[in-house]
Parts: sequence; C-alpha cells; structure tokens
Amino acid sequence: MISIKGFFRGRTTIQPIWVFVIAIFIFFSFMSEYFLSLSNITNILVQTSTIGLIALGMTYVMINGNIDLSVGAILGLAASLAVGLQDYGLTIAIIAALASGMLLGAINGLVVWKTGVNAFIVTLGAMLGIRGLIFLYTGEQSFYSMNFAFADFGASTIGPIPVLAIIFLLCTLVMHLVLTRTGHGRNTFAVGGNPEASIDAGIRLGRHMMINFIIVGFFAALAGVLLASQMGAATPNLGRDYELWTITAVVLGGTKLTGGYGSIVGTLGGVLAIGILRNGMNLMQVPAFYVLVVLGLILISVLIIDKKLNVPSTKEVRI
Amino acid sequence: MASAEQTNPQLLNGRISRAGILSFLSAQGILVFFLLSMFVFSLFSEQFLSQSNIMTVVRQASIIGIIAVGVTVVIIGGNLDLSVGSMLSFATVLVVDLHDKIGPMNAILVMFAFTLLLGAVNGFLIGLMRLNSLIVTLAMLSVIQGLVLIYSGGQNVDIANQDGTWFAFFGRGYVLGIAVPVLLFGLLALLMQIVMSYTGYGRRIFAVGGNPMASVYSGIRRNWCVFSTYLISAFCVACAALVLGSRVMGSQNNVGQGYELLVLAGIILGGTSLLGGAGSIWKTVIGVLILGFIQNGLLLMGYPYYTQWIVTWVIIILAVWLDLANKRKRLLTTHS
Amino acid sequence: MFYKTALATSVLLLASGIAHADSTYRIGITQNNVGVDSYQTTYERAFVAAAEANGSVDIVVLDAGGDVARQIGQMQDLVQQRMDAIIIWPTDGQAVIPAIRQANNAGIPVVVTNSRIADAGMDFIAAFSGPDNVEQGAYAAEMMCEALEGEGQIVQISGQPGYTTAIERAAGFEERLAELCPDVELMETQPGNWNRERAQRVMEDFLTKYDRIDGVYSGDDNMGVGALNAAKDAGRAGDIVFIGATNFAVGYDAIARGEYYGSIYQSPVDDAEAALQTALDVLAGEEVPKLNFFETPKITAENLEEFDRPVF
Repeated sequence: MISIKGFFRGRTTIQPIWVFVIAIFIFFSFMSEYFLSLSNITNILVQTSTIGLIALGMTYVMINGNIDLSVGAILGLAASLAVGLQDYGLTIAIIAALASGMLLGAINGLVVWKTGVNAFIVTLGAMLGIRGLIFLYTGEQSFYSMNFAFADFGASTIGPIPVLAIIFLLCTLVMHLVLTRTGHGRNTFAVGGNPEASIDAGIRLGRHMMINFIIVGFFAALAGVLLASQMGAATPNLGRDYELWTITAVVLGGTKLTGGYGSIVGTLGGVLAIGILRNGMNLMQVPAFYVLVVLGLILISVLIIDKKLNVPSTKEVRI
Repeated sequence: MASAEQTNPQLLNGRISRAGILSFLSAQGILVFFLLSMFVFSLFSEQFLSQSNIMTVVRQASIIGIIAVGVTVVIIGGNLDLSVGSMLSFATVLVVDLHDKIGPMNAILVMFAFTLLLGAVNGFLIGLMRLNSLIVTLAMLSVIQGLVLIYSGGQNVDIANQDGTWFAFFGRGYVLGIAVPVLLFGLLALLMQIVMSYTGYGRRIFAVGGNPMASVYSGIRRNWCVFSTYLISAFCVACAALVLGSRVMGSQNNVGQGYELLVLAGIILGGTSLLGGAGSIWKTVIGVLILGFIQNGLLLMGYPYYTQWIVTWVIIILAVWLDLANKRKRLLTTHS
Repeated sequence: MFYKTALATSVLLLASGIAHADSTYRIGITQNNVGVDSYQTTYERAFVAAAEANGSVDIVVLDAGGDVARQIGQMQDLVQQRMDAIIIWPTDGQAVIPAIRQANNAGIPVVVTNSRIADAGMDFIAAFSGPDNVEQGAYAAEMMCEALEGEGQIVQISGQPGYTTAIERAAGFEERLAELCPDVELMETQPGNWNRERAQRVMEDFLTKYDRIDGVYSGDDNMGVGALNAAKDAGRAGDIVFIGATNFAVGYDAIARGEYYGSIYQSPVDDAEAALQTALDVLAGEEVPKLNFFETPKITAENLEEFDRPVF
C-alpha cells in the first residue's frame, strides 16, 4: 500500500526535474558543439557519479526525515585510506575504506538512535570531527598511489562506457528497486511519513534509521574510493562542501526534507541537472563567478515551482 | 527535518540509574563543561589563564559570537541560516572596498543597507513564501559568494591608510580597557537576550518556532515574525563585518567561508536545539566561548589546529548525551 | 617519448585540417582558485590579455575553485574539446597526475604553471613554468639571517597544508636557515591558509604563547600583513622582523613604511605570460626544458624603487 502510494507520489514529483534536465540538455546541445557527443555524456556521468553515489544513500536518510552532513568528510577519509593503505594490498585498502564509511555511518546512526537528537546536530559534529581525523591520519599531506592500476581502473571503460558510470548506474538501479520493492524501502517511507504510526506497525525505528545511516556512509566511502581511483591520489581536503551539493541534488530531485517523500529516480534527475549545468557552463565558458549564482538561483526557482505545483495536491489530501 | 525526539520509545525505558550524576551535571551542563574545559587547559598551559590570553580568545571569538547571536534568533524562530558565511564575505568586501572610495561613514551605511537587503531576501523566501530555510539559505550561500566575486572581480580589497582612519575603532579600538569587538559582542548579546526574554516580540518568536500552527491561531503574524529574524541575523552579520574589516583592514573574497558551520557548532555546544522554540542567547555566548577556548587551549598545548575539530565532535556528542540524561530525569518525574 | 607522440599527434591534427583555423592554436587552462586572492585573479587577466595580444591563440579559461575533483573534471572537458595544449595550475601536486597522464595519453601536451607537481608526474608533462618556490624559501631564510644577524627566535606561518607551493617554500626556508644560521631557532609553524585573517589569529596566539619573538616568516605577504597587524595591535611590531613572499601591494607599502623587512617579488603577469609562451613554444616544436623558472628577486627597503608597486 505504502509503496504504491510512495511510488505514485514519487512519480508526480519526479516530473519537474526531468523536464528541467531535458530542457537544459537540449539547450546546451545547441549552445556548444562539444556538448552532444557520447564521450561528453559519459564524461558527465563520471563527473556526477561521485555526488550521485552519495545522493543515493542520502535519499534514504532524507526520506527517513534525517540528514547527513558528514558525507563529504567520510568521502575524504575513505579516499585517504584507500590510497594510504595500499602498501598492505589494494583489496585490504579498499575494504578498510568502505568499512570506515560504514562504521562512521553506524556511529552517526547510533547517536541519533540512542539520543533522539536532531541528525543535523549529530552529523554536523561528525563532519568537523571526521575532517580532523583525516588531517590526523594523513599528517595534512596528499597521498599518491604508486600503483597505476588503481588509477587505470578509474579511467577504464567497458565498450565506450566508463566503468565508473556503469557502477553508478547499477547502484542507482539497485537502490531504486530496494526503495520501491522491499520491506526496507516501505519502512523508509513509513518512518519518515509518520514515525508514530510506524512504531505501532512494529518498525524498530532507531535500528531502521541506523541502517540507513550505514547505507549513506557506505556510499560516501564508495564515492571516495572511486574518486581516489579517478585521481590515483587523495587529498586531505577532498569532499569539502560535497554534503551541500548532495543535499541540493536530492532536494532538486523532489525529496522532502520533512521526510516521507522522495524517489531515487528523482534524485538521479537532480544529480544530472547539476552535472549537466556545470559541464554545459564550462563548455560555454561561463565565468566561474556566475556559475555560483546560476546554480543557487536555479535551486531557489525549483523550490518555488515545487511549492506552486504542490499547493493543489495538499488541498486534495485535506479534502 | 522531523526529529525523533518526541517519538523515540527507547527514551522512556532507558537505564535511568546511570543518569543520576549526569543529570545533576547537565542541569547546569553547559556551564560545568565550560569551567571543566578551562580547568583542564590551565593544568597544561601556564599562559592559558593569563589575562592577555583570555582577552585574545574572547576577542577572536567575538566575530563568530556576534553572528551566532543573530543565528540563534533565527533558530529559535524555527529556521536555519547557512548563508551567514557568504554574507560576511559580502559585507566585509563591500565595506572595505567602499571605505577609500566614499568614506568610512557612507561605506558603513551602504554595507548595512545591502546586507539587510540580503537578509530581507532570505526573509521573503522563507518567511513570506514559506520555502524551506535549509535549502534557501544553502542556495543563498552560493548566490552571495558569486555576487562577492562578481563585485570585486576576484581582487582582494584593502584600506590604504590603515593608521589614519577612525574605522580602525571597530576592530582595534578599546573602551575602558575592553576591546571594541568584545564590547559589541557583549552589547548585542545582552540586547537580544533582553528582547528574547522580556518582550512580546521575543515571546512571539518562541511561539512561532515552538508551535507554528498554534501561533497562527493565537493571532501571531508568523510570516513577518520569521521575516524579521532574518533581518536580525543580517544585522548581526553586518556588525561582524564591521569588526572583521576593521581588524584586518582588507578582505579576501572568501573571508567568511566556513563561518556558518563554526557559528552552528558554537550554538549547538551551547545547547540550543535546532528544532525551534527553545534556546537562549546566553547559552550561545558560552558555546561560542567554549569553541574559542578549545581552539586556543589545544594550540597552546602544542597540538595541531585540526585536533580542535575532533575534540569539538566528541564534546558535541557528550553534550547531547548529558542533555538526554537530563531529559530522562524530567520525563521520569513527570510520568511517575 | 610521450612528448614526441603528443607533438606528432597535434601536428597531424593541424595538418589534416581538423583544427579550426589555419595557424590558430587552441589552448585550455584550468586554474586553481581564481578569486581566492588577487594574485590568481591578476594572473587570469594577464593570461587573457597575453593571448589576445598574441592574436593567433584561442583560449578556454576554466577555474577549479580549489577543488581537485572539479579540476580533474575540467581536464577531461578540455581533452574532450581536443585542445592543442592544456595549461594546468594544479590544485594539488599529487592528485592531478592521473588526469595529466590521461591528457598526455590523448596526445595533448600539458604545461604545468605556477605550482609544481610531484616528480612521479614529470614524465607526463611537456614543461613546467613558474617560480622556484624552494629558492624563494631559501632567499627568505637569507634575509631572515641578515636581519637578525644570525641569532634569534622565530615563528613561521605557512600556506595551505598539502599545497605544493606552501610545502616547497617552507622546506626551502627551513633548510637554508639551518645551514646558514643555526642560532636562529624556528620555534613553531602553523598554517595560515593564504588567508590574512587566519594568519592574524595565528599570530595573536603566537604572541601570547611566546614572550620573545624576533622574526616571522610568512608563506606570502597577504598572511605576513596579517601577522604584522596582530603584532602592531599587541604593541610588539617594533621588535619583530617580518619577511614574506609573493609581494602584495600591502606588503610593498609596509616595506616602504619600514614596518616590514622584506619579501620576494613575484609578478603574476610574468607568471601568466611565461606559461602561455611555454605552451606556444611546445606547440611550435621547440626544444623546451622541463623546468622553466622565471626570476623572483628579493625585495627590501634598499631596492624597493627598482620595482613597480604590485597591482594586487
């Protein structure tokens, strides 16, 4: 029941962002001769895969009615671990990096669960603290992978499609299916939509939220590992401000900050919108200063449009 | 952001015995923390409690503190303001750049006018159009940073004659032996504490943040209340820019970058919840000072600057837990 | 080897008429963080002006906003647009190497400007053009020794942690200082992140922590003036020797007033023009040395008149 409702709710909110994505896609195709080509489109997919992967997990957390500001720092730590631990073997380094993300997600989730304090506060603290841990671990230095196989993986392709883009799209598909077809997905909507009712329905609220924090921690770490493989290196400042762009993408995709509402398809649209805008404006040589203004104004416009579109629907619900 | 606070069942049947001592501490939690951290640092560093060091810390904390006073009002009103960092860059660049061009007085007036205008834009979108404050101020963070860069063309701005301008008063002056930034911080905090605690306006902000629907039924013009909190926040940012611009006598375009997070960290350390309807200015003042003393204490002890972030994280978690112990106790007494 | 193939490919591309105009080179540049300080902004203007003055260059100017990942994306975008050459101002000396390698593998020669990349990446670039930051640090140490007459206690305010320029200047300074005057003790180093306000805070903390400070070395003048502000405020500026790098206008003025001992004169205009020229030389098929340093002399009150006041 809830999943069907969520699906339909989701679909109505998906449309505006996908209309926007298609519109800017057509716009840039006309404005820049380099925009419309397979290699540029795969370029965009690779560039958005970092924010995109985090946004998948963030969607779950935000549908729960929580938020995670520590994802950028988790990404940075995972990237440093994935490069810094390569002396012990590539596999161990990557496993350690992913595990660190899940562990930190679990800590965030545990604190939110046990204290019931707003996730914004908990993860803001974590964001500062984890960044401190990165500097402590790296001694403020960048790490460089001597192993070019690592960097080559980041640049590798299957046919014409980069591996990173494929990983991103596969994860998107899986996370979409989990959200729409499984009990965990249904519970995610239920918890965010009406926490009290979900407790009555037998959902273990704290544990459920913690699982979603672990999921977003995992995806942030995965994004960190893949970004590090793209660079063959990691810097201590990596991932700074990514939480802001991730939240922006998820909100553009129609997920409500109040919880109970949202979809992976919408999030994909939001992520692509930002990626296409950045890439397109680069190709059109829009000065960087104006890019900041344009991105901000678009975000506000989408909020306003969303508000206008949703006014009738809320009235309907009330009637 | 719906909170699990009201709905989390585990809170009710948690282990209460352990909370006994903790709840005593947390009744005055934030003050205890403050004194405890001062004590620990004074053990490790001789200079820590010296008068000159304390003055330095308070003076350094005053810029964050002045902004935090305004943001606390926004938060009590049930919203957030992430745009203060960019707004600080904007205001500082503006006042420093105009100082030599149109004179200090005009520069200050223009700076206040434009900063308040930005606050009004926030207030319009959030208060009147009822858009989500987190996202709007996040977007404004980006927009305003872009505006600063477009305005300055990416150049640093400087005041040529640093020693010959009365503008130096705000960042470098002393009145009765107290540094002007500290004085401004103290006065603003005192003023807002009085406004929030003893005036009808303050009570309305608490009501709007605490229970928006009920406040509307009781006849409060909620939209304009929220609008006004963003003007207060922008006003505080403008005051902070006055101090910052005068202190540095120049400005980079990203000078305020990251301030929004430090401000929030200070407010959270002080114990103001982000849910709205609760909190106080004096708690924020103490939270900001704790942040300043942690930073300074660790530096004096010879630890690298980033250790303060880790310590801040741990303290936020501890503070949250102590606060919880206190709540459990209250829940227990009211329910039994 | 790579370099020759790169060159051959670009010549081939030109010859086969895929490139746009007959003798017009298309050069893309991705900069570190324009707008964060005036040096970078002035550099960008000078670069655009130099390209316009040249007449036979089309340029694409991008800015990474200090974010390594974004810079790598921009490198890919530039490769995508099949530039004849790419100039990169690395946001990080290590992390950009694979992206440079990709461009190099795609047959596009890469010129690194201003800040060097790690040795592992040197095989993949056509040339580096910029200041010798190790030498700048050494110059600063020489000035410090001279000013303190070989004895004293000093502190250092370094640039952004992890950034090559900051690391090289600090390393050059520390090494030469130890050799030249072992009796000058470097008590502590803290980063000022190229930020004047932050440097001012750091200096305030130093001043409370140390009762005696004889000298301050700052990674650039922007931070150096912040340190000077703090010392003036504490009434101790007269006892302290201030030495910086990358002479900013505020630093130049402070030297003129006698408050600031010396700095390193480094012109963003020279920097930008050298980068463009190096790229053009590479494209023209000339033999270009791997490392091209432009001159960055010491500047003190004695030779101040020989230099124009910096525009930034």
